[in-house]
Amino acid sequence: MEFYDKVWKPQKLVLSNGKVVEEKRSRTPVILLLFIAATYLSVRITGFSFYTIMERGSQFFVILRQMLSPDFSYLGSIWKPLLDTIKMSLLGSFLGSILAVPFAILASYNLVKNKVVLAVVRVFLSIVRTIPTLVTALLATYIWGLGTMAGTFAITVFTFSYVGKQLYEMIETVDMGAYEAMEAIGAGRAYAFLSAILPQVLPGYLSVSLFCFEGNVRYAAILGYVGAGGLGLILNEKIGWREYDSVGMILLVLFGTVLLIETISHAIRKKLM
Amino acid sequence: MIEFKDVSKIYSNGVVGLDHVNLTIEQGEFVGIIGLSGAGKSTLLRSINRMHDITSGSLMVDGLEISKLKTKELRNFRRKIGMIFQSFNLVTRTTVIRNVLMAKVPDMTFWRVLLGVFKKEDKIEALENLDKVGILDKAYIRADQLSGGQQQRVALARTLTQNPQIILADEPVAALDPVTAKQVMNDFKRINQEMNISILINIHHVELALEYADRIIGIRAGKIVYDGPSKDVTEEVLNTIYEGKIPNEMEEA
Repeated sequence: MEFYDKVWKPQKLVLSNGKVVEEKRSRTPVILLLFIAATYLSVRITGFSFYTIMERGSQFFVILRQMLSPDFSYLGSIWKPLLDTIKMSLLGSFLGSILAVPFAILASYNLVKNKVVLAVVRVFLSIVRTIPTLVTALLATYIWGLGTMAGTFAITVFTFSYVGKQLYEMIETVDMGAYEAMEAIGAGRAYAFLSAILPQVLPGYLSVSLFCFEGNVRYAAILGYVGAGGLGLILNEKIGWREYDSVGMILLVLFGTVLLIETISHAIRKKLM
Repeated sequence: MIEFKDVSKIYSNGVVGLDHVNLTIEQGEFVGIIGLSGAGKSTLLRSINRMHDITSGSLMVDGLEISKLKTKELRNFRRKIGMIFQSFNLVTRTTVIRNVLMAKVPDMTFWRVLLGVFKKEDKIEALENLDKVGILDKAYIRADQLSGGQQQRVALARTLTQNPQIILADEPVAALDPVTAKQVMNDFKRINQEMNISILINIHHVELALEYADRIIGIRAGKIVYDGPSKDVTEEVLNTIYEGKIPNEMEEA
């Protein structure tokens, strides 16, 4: 950025007593230009065109209109896959959140001084986070076969990587004073962690886990596409048959469920903070 | 009894923390350590419970060679030594009594620590120590609701719950206003006299050091340049310790 200051010289402000203060020029114009260039490039690369939207946009509403008159008689066969979806996300979120704890501890630079351990655990978490959940679910179906077990596994893996990263970032921003005090008292590192750091990160950890669970209900709903059970299974089937009124019904139920879970989870998270 | 014999500490970046320090402190003394920032006050204090390792020399506490202790022995040793910090170092999200009870954590079983379940007799001891520092009524309030002075007393109660023989206090009143600072210093004095606990305090406020400590150790660039009764500290002595830059408080006094 020193280059920037050479091209656009800082503004000189002279005080009444003769002292000079230099105020650097704002970086905003350059950032704005870069942003516009990036937008233009992405439009070119993705082949986005307003013309197509004007021309064929109405097609979107054709299917949507059919979905807007949901087939309520189909409701009866939705409950089981819906429960499967919720079970997958609940169990997966629970297992993943717990598994994340030891890895998050090993990835926190303020607790682990060994740089090799830190790097290995962090790279591992990044790799796991990079694998799309759909791919994990697909792979899992080769192990457990078609069904909710594969979905649960996929959700567990995703939750593990997400909560793991959030948790180690929380641990790293914790106030280490109490930890230092515990060490001075003669507590080992495990005891010092449990009594000085855990109380500081626990509310945040529970909150992140719950937030992850909210999202997982939505993810779990599409895992059925690769045979991992739940709503996605019938969603895929009904779209295939072009029974859009049934699809509408499934989405309506999913919407209601997600809304309910988010409301409850939000209320709990607010209490935790 | 604490004995420094030719103790030196050189940090990995080459900075000399302690330079051939020789020192003997008897049980029950009240010692004020003064000197400029970076002179080595903290290093001196923290080498006693080995929060900092020394580079050379011998440091004995009650006949125990500190630098030779293994991890387990070091932890056992640290239980007898209390430490008070400038920033209190409490878990502010939790209650006062739980903070005090943390002193018992090293002796507890894993499950009790994990679940935070404390024994009744420990709770009573913690409450009694809160009473000693005059904040018994705050026991079940979250620590972050308290003022700085009250938080430092919580830290003091936590230290007392360790039943220490020595208390090391690293700038304990630096973050407090003058009135609160005096109250906390009074607590230290009382604990020192009533319980015969040795107290070593690093302190920037020279007049507080002279008022409360029986013995003053002046440190400059890692060397001990004064060691004697606080009543014998003269302007000249302070000039030596502070390299001629007498602190503001003395000019005002």
